[in-house]
Amino acid sequence: MEETPRIGVYVCYCGSNIAGTVDVEEVAKYAAGIPNVVVAKTYKYMCSDPGQELIKQDIKNLKLNRVVVASCSPLMHEGTFRRAVAEAGLNPYLYQMANIREQVSWVTKDREKATAKAKALVNAAVRRVALHEPLQRKEFPVNPNVLVVGGGIAGIEAALKCASAGKKVYLVEKEPTIGGHMAKFDKTFPTLDCAACILTPKMTDVGRHPNIEMMSWSEVEEVSGFVGNFKVKVKKKSRFVKDSCTGCADCLSVCPVDVPSEFEQGLAMRKAIYRPFPQAVPGIMIIDKKGVSPCRTSCPAGTFAHAYIQMARTGKYEKALEITRRTIPLPSACGRVCYHYCELDCARGELDEPIAINPIKRFVGDYGIKANLKPAPFKKQHDEKVAVIGGGPAGLACAHQLAMKGYETTIFESAPEAGGIMRWGIPNFRMPKDVLKKEIEYLQAEGINIKTGIKVNDAQSLLNDGYKAVLIATGTNENLKLKVEGEELKGIYPALDFLYQINSGKNPLVGDKVVVVGGGNTATDAARSALRLGAKEVTILFNRTEEDLSAHPELIADTKAEGIKFHYQAIPVQFKGAGKVAEIVCRKTELGNPDSTGRRRVTPIEGSEFTIPADTVIVALGDKSDLGELGKNIKTTPWGTYKVDSVTLETSVKGVFAAGDCVTSAASIVEAFYTGNEAAESIHRTLRGEDMKKDRQPVVKVGRPDFSKKYPKAPRQKNTTTPVAERVKNFAEVDLGLSEPQVIKEAERCLNCAVCCECYECATVCGDRKNIDYNMPDQTVELEVGAIIVATGFKLFDAAVMERYGYGKLPNVYNSLEFERLTNASGPTSGEVLLRNGKKPESVAILHCIGSRDKEYHAYCSRVCCMYALKFAHLVVEKVKGAKIYDFYIDMRAFGKGYEEFYNRLLEEGVEFVRGKVAEVTDFYEKPEEEGKLIVKAEDTLLGTLRRIPVDMVVLCNGLTPGPNANTLNRVFGISCSQEGFFLEKHPKLAPVSTANDGVYIAGTCQGPKDIPDTVAQGAAAACEAIALIDKGKVDIEPIYAVVNEDLCSGCRICNTICPYSAIEFDEVKKVSRVNEALCKGCGTCVATCPSSAITARHYTDEEIMTEIEGILVG
Amino acid sequence: MKYLYYPGCSQEVTAKNYDVSAKAVAKTLGLEMEEMENWNCCGVAFMVAELEVPGYAVPARNLALAEKMGAEQMVTVCPACHIALQKATNYVNDYPNVNKTVNEALGKANLSYSGKVPTRHLLEVIYHDLGLEKVREAVKKPLTNLKVAAYSGCQLTRPLGKELGSYEYPVILDETLQALGAETIDYTRKARCCGGMAMTTAPDVAMKLCWDILEEVTRKGAQIIVTACPLCQINLEGYQTQINSKFNKNFNIPVVYFTQMMGLAFGLPESELRMKQNLTDTGKVLETAAKGGK
Repeated sequence: MEETPRIGVYVCYCGSNIAGTVDVEEVAKYAAGIPNVVVAKTYKYMCSDPGQELIKQDIKNLKLNRVVVASCSPLMHEGTFRRAVAEAGLNPYLYQMANIREQVSWVTKDREKATAKAKALVNAAVRRVALHEPLQRKEFPVNPNVLVVGGGIAGIEAALKCASAGKKVYLVEKEPTIGGHMAKFDKTFPTLDCAACILTPKMTDVGRHPNIEMMSWSEVEEVSGFVGNFKVKVKKKSRFVKDSCTGCADCLSVCPVDVPSEFEQGLAMRKAIYRPFPQAVPGIMIIDKKGVSPCRTSCPAGTFAHAYIQMARTGKYEKALEITRRTIPLPSACGRVCYHYCELDCARGELDEPIAINPIKRFVGDYGIKANLKPAPFKKQHDEKVAVIGGGPAGLACAHQLAMKGYETTIFESAPEAGGIMRWGIPNFRMPKDVLKKEIEYLQAEGINIKTGIKVNDAQSLLNDGYKAVLIATGTNENLKLKVEGEELKGIYPALDFLYQINSGKNPLVGDKVVVVGGGNTATDAARSALRLGAKEVTILFNRTEEDLSAHPELIADTKAEGIKFHYQAIPVQFKGAGKVAEIVCRKTELGNPDSTGRRRVTPIEGSEFTIPADTVIVALGDKSDLGELGKNIKTTPWGTYKVDSVTLETSVKGVFAAGDCVTSAASIVEAFYTGNEAAESIHRTLRGEDMKKDRQPVVKVGRPDFSKKYPKAPRQKNTTTPVAERVKNFAEVDLGLSEPQVIKEAERCLNCAVCCECYECATVCGDRKNIDYNMPDQTVELEVGAIIVATGFKLFDAAVMERYGYGKLPNVYNSLEFERLTNASGPTSGEVLLRNGKKPESVAILHCIGSRDKEYHAYCSRVCCMYALKFAHLVVEKVKGAKIYDFYIDMRAFGKGYEEFYNRLLEEGVEFVRGKVAEVTDFYEKPEEEGKLIVKAEDTLLGTLRRIPVDMVVLCNGLTPGPNANTLNRVFGISCSQEGFFLEKHPKLAPVSTANDGVYIAGTCQGPKDIPDTVAQGAAAACEAIALIDKGKVDIEPIYAVVNEDLCSGCRICNTICPYSAIEFDEVKKVSRVNEALCKGCGTCVATCPSSAITARHYTDEEIMTEIEGILVG
Repeated sequence: MKYLYYPGCSQEVTAKNYDVSAKAVAKTLGLEMEEMENWNCCGVAFMVAELEVPGYAVPARNLALAEKMGAEQMVTVCPACHIALQKATNYVNDYPNVNKTVNEALGKANLSYSGKVPTRHLLEVIYHDLGLEKVREAVKKPLTNLKVAAYSGCQLTRPLGKELGSYEYPVILDETLQALGAETIDYTRKARCCGGMAMTTAPDVAMKLCWDILEEVTRKGAQIIVTACPLCQINLEGYQTQINSKFNKNFNIPVVYFTQMMGLAFGLPESELRMKQNLTDTGKVLETAAKGGK
């Protein structure tokens, strides 16, 4: 600062606002004595024209180069005086304001103290202003586009106004359609216009306008930049339906899923593919798909369980069966013996019990058998032939997939019949052979050739014979031996052999005392079979404890129910007998610490021998594969299985694949189906020359039901089973499954976790139009706009928290949006006012102020409820002739145009108005004639009595509360919320649609509760602000920003991360930080943080601040 | 010490069973409560009659003594005592003139109160400080087959008991009883007034209020009512005969204290439950429940 400061000080009376407490003349006299002050004057109203003129004249005449005004808050008039100073030819930043009103006269009572404080502040201001630098505002161009967030009536109005002014508008709406809450209303007060009739023309205008780009089902994620220059990231969520959809709605009739409709407030259902309401804009469909349901992701084969459950629910069993066969070749068989991992993950299990997913599959499979359904005749699509070695689960699954793809497939099965473990290993009482036979016949009718009695020893020979690919699916065929003395005695059977014999029709000899060694499914199968063959006593001997049994818990329970005993922690060490086994010498075991796999080590206890009598022993330790001749020229793993590529399942021999237990070791049947299916896919891709590994294991999101909703509990349907006493007499099937009504009841319990069940019916019926894409990804786009209008609307107060009104418990208590849907002709009751039981109410009570004017919930008045209560009353008068209507109010707020007249009309329509806020709505009746009614209790303050009025229906007038995302959205847009949670306007009276963040405007109910006329007015006002900003063409930015002294900057970059506006960039070349002046808001955080003191804030330098402080302390 | 137990006048005679069972239950749960000596009536009657000096000074004497003994907090089983003591503390802290008057009065007995001793209800102490897990662990004879109505009464949550849950629909008593294995009914009068002291001054009003409660719980199938207030207990149980004749009903439903139920579930002996002191025949109901009947 070169020149000597010549400071002018002006102290304002502000009428009596300041002068009433502060001795203004005294302060001016004091100011005149401060060094560098050339003149000190007072004036009644500095901000007035003459007041400002005073300053301008003195600047000219007295050659002032600094000005101080001691008056009100800078928020009020800093701008005014800076402009005045500028008009006199002085740089506006050579001005300082001392606030002696809000900070002195309004808060200090004592005149002496106030005057002293005013003097100190003036002194400080004078000292500071001497150090001010003349700063220049920088200009930036304004982007002419506008972003409107929210497609309700406020957003629609704003968008249309901006668009007709020639601006490009992006309208982002988070729901699938625009229209907001107004689209849900029936009639609007006071004119009783139909809401949809006046709204939908505007909606279509928006959809059609060339200047408006509508992004529905989208949300704003990030906003950066500054006024006139915003960068916005918008996430466009996937509809799974392309924009080419015409909205013909053919898909609606084929979707099996029913979920509560959000638009209908839960009073009606909608499909998984839907359109919120008939006049929705855009009119295209949307699929509600929250990823994939857990029943599908937990199934190793990825079975479309959710889809077949929903098909069964709607009685479409044939379709359900078709869907099951996408992954499961033998639904009836699988539905009897599957491990059903799906039921373990079923989300219903968190509520009460999992859905009977497996029994439903079994029912559907059995339906197909009973109805003698035949597959479509085989259509050959490819010339190549494929060979499958092994007709068990894996082989059948692979052949089934290949047949569906149009390949001629031949299965070579070494046993007399196909079926593998299902035919030969599982007893008839779990897996009836007639059912299995029928299902295998179905597969043969699909075009699969099955050659039995043929053992293939060389895969290469098949390739030589002209088969273009071979699958080895030989399973596990060898029993693990105990390797214990006496194992060769008669009467000791390996379990697989034992079961094979039974399944061949031969009954192996079984004594009285049978001991089965093992703990898996096979052990229980063998034990129960032995019982049926006449054993008197059957015991299962297991080396570990009960919790380590690998048999399925349901099978363990069945085994115990049949009277079979379990003997834990014992192993056989010797079999004794003369030619035939008579007893087993056993040793006790103890379980030690877990090994690397987590299983506890089993250690036999020395000297703990004991003997148990046994005339029959079945060894069920597990099975392994004897790869035999077939495995000779193929790479194998150390534990005797084929070594295959983990994704393609190809072996070391090109064109030879392997699946099932011979790859995985003994696993479940559904896992065999999975590997068989995958092998078929690999074979198909190999033969067609396609990439083998692409998209083989897609990552999926698991859908979860919305547990915030209340679902009534319902127990799981139980399968019918043969009584235990009957069971053990023969090998007839024990589990008889579910009946048709039970299946439907079970399917009704499904929570529709991911909503869309992936039945693909909608895509099928859409056909060649191909408008549905289940894999459509979300998109993110970046927009550049100059102005943002936030019109995100409100949320209705949830009356469930006020237990006294019984909302959510008493069926005929409705909230306002629900009642709107009832009276709306396109709603769930076609516009009739009906109780839940379908009858018309004889009496209706309408309750004002629910959640409003209430310290416990929301203190404010919601503004519109009195009027909509009157509207509701009128609609009931019209629709339910002769109904008695009670309106319980505190005050009647009919402030608008035509509102008081509307109130009068209702008074004449015979509605009984009771002045008293309702205390409770209850079903607790006192007199017998009240039973079944809702008793409304209120104090009638005009009569001075308590009233108990029984009515049929209660309608609550819930207040409008801030939108559901208000407390996160405000941060995205850089605006504040008021105490009640609504977005904060710049000034409640003079700037209702601007915010403290320049360039961001608010409109509608997101700013506070209001009716439609006021909302539309605000929408237009916000548009006007945006248009004014854009038409100005440029913005200038306050020059109060931080500056990095690059000589002092050490390049530590701490300021980069600490800046709340991401306004500091790093120059990689010079290795210094640099502040982006446009983004910098001058908060000073970086200034304080910089460890090298390299950053200064313009207009807030250390010297300026220190001298101001000194001025207060010294003065 | 941490918890100082303030019995309150009702617990001396009419609600002796409440006092005995409360102490027994606290002991079983490992809650160390020292019983206060030389306590005086909480003076809630003065407070209700809006007599400023005795209204605050009388309860404050107890608090002054507690402070002198170094007690961290007072625990009581009666909601009225709770309100009287806690309100005295609140007013001594918030209003300098009350503070002055009270300490002047206490000064005559060489006592003073700085307002630092909070008062809590035993139910809330068990729920928040010990937790229901501890309660579950102590249960020896779960109260299965028993359908109970948890009656919180109007003063448990109003006006000071926000920690005990929603004013109108508190669930803390229900959850405690569920932890004992009982099934609680869902009814709307659970925190409504039983008439309180009005049973003596306006019996018609109070008996109607009691009828509301007895009628609703009977309709919902409860076999026993459980309370946390001696006045509620006596109004609901003691006046059943009069209510029966006034409203032409035949209610015969036992009304017991939550500490008696807890003691029962913990397997404590009758000497510590004092069920026999109740006016209805509690034994019959509990026997039926034990057999699994309804």
